Amino acid sequence: MYAETIVYLIMAVVSLLSVVAVYLAIVERDLIKAVIYSALQSGFYAVLYYLLMAPDIVLVYLPVAVGLIPGVLIVLISKTERWEKE
Amino acid sequence: MRRITELAVIISLILGVSVLLVLAASILIPGVEVRQLAFFYLYTTINPWFQNYTVNSPEAVTAIVWDYRGLDTLFETSVFYLALIAGLALARGLFSETLQGSFNEKTSGLSTIVKTVTRVTAPMIIAVGASIGLHGHLTPGGGFQGGATIAVIPLVFIVVYSAFFLIARGVTSNKMLVLRSIGLLGIGFISIATFLIGLAIGRFAYVFQNMPKPGAIVGLPADINGALISGTLWFFNLFEMIAVAAGFTIAFIILLLAGRGGSGGR
Repeated sequence: MYAETIVYLIMAVVSLLSVVAVYLAIVERDLIKAVIYSALQSGFYAVLYYLLMAPDIVLVYLPVAVGLIPGVLIVLISKTERWEKE
Repeated sequence: MRRITELAVIISLILGVSVLLVLAASILIPGVEVRQLAFFYLYTTINPWFQNYTVNSPEAVTAIVWDYRGLDTLFETSVFYLALIAGLALARGLFSETLQGSFNEKTSGLSTIVKTVTRVTAPMIIAVGASIGLHGHLTPGGGFQGGATIAVIPLVFIVVYSAFFLIARGVTSNKMLVLRSIGLLGIGFISIATFLIGLAIGRFAYVFQNMPKPGAIVGLPADINGALISGTLWFFNLFEMIAVAAGFTIAFIILLLAGRGGSGGR
């Protein structure tokens, strides 16, 4: 019971941090930084999945959301402009 | 200043919701009893005293993905394959994989430090991906996870070295497509392997059958010389890993070369 509450508390803090990362990713004008914030949010989500006892999802989520998607997005940004306009 | 205010508002909102959730969790703890369906899966996933129903895999998720619900995963793999075919069809003519002009490996790409680090870490990433994929029936992981991990390597190499580094090494989209097709054909073959064995020895067997079932005693071996392979699961993971890694590599080659028209790499 006590340990469970600690796990729930960690989950609450991690989900809070992930929302902050999402917010920063949305308001950031530098798209490269926005991609990095998005990857940070994915990292927090991976922790959540791990705490929710889904290690299989963690293993597919980490390479895809932290490795592949930011890589593809950075490549696409390099083909357009780095700064978001007003 | 405005940003800090906005952030403070959002943080306080989320903190409130989180506190509420924690309170709710301390009052409304989910029950420990397992549903009937979950109980069946957990009871039969590895059970030597229940030979006619077990999958002989200690990893229940992989057992469900490739055995109990194998057909779903087969169609998922086909959808991914068709999406790649569509991507290739859309990008045809937009990219050329022939080296035109001068491409110098020494001068293109990032600095020597980054290149050396990439060279050192690449085999490690491949080893981790292979371990995740090939131990998918024993520990958390599986073909898709391992393949996605391995697929990081071509992306890193393209970014660090250059778009034409892989092509100069012979990693072209056509070769990857062949590899992808081999993976898919392997999955297709393994899904009917037990059925073919049944045909050959004249016994009744199902398509997508793994271990012997009541009324269909044909099955693939659960272990080879004491090493557990869980019948079809190991082969499914192997071919899925090949297919996913090759598929992602095709996607990267298309994305990075489309629009360049073979005008030289960076």
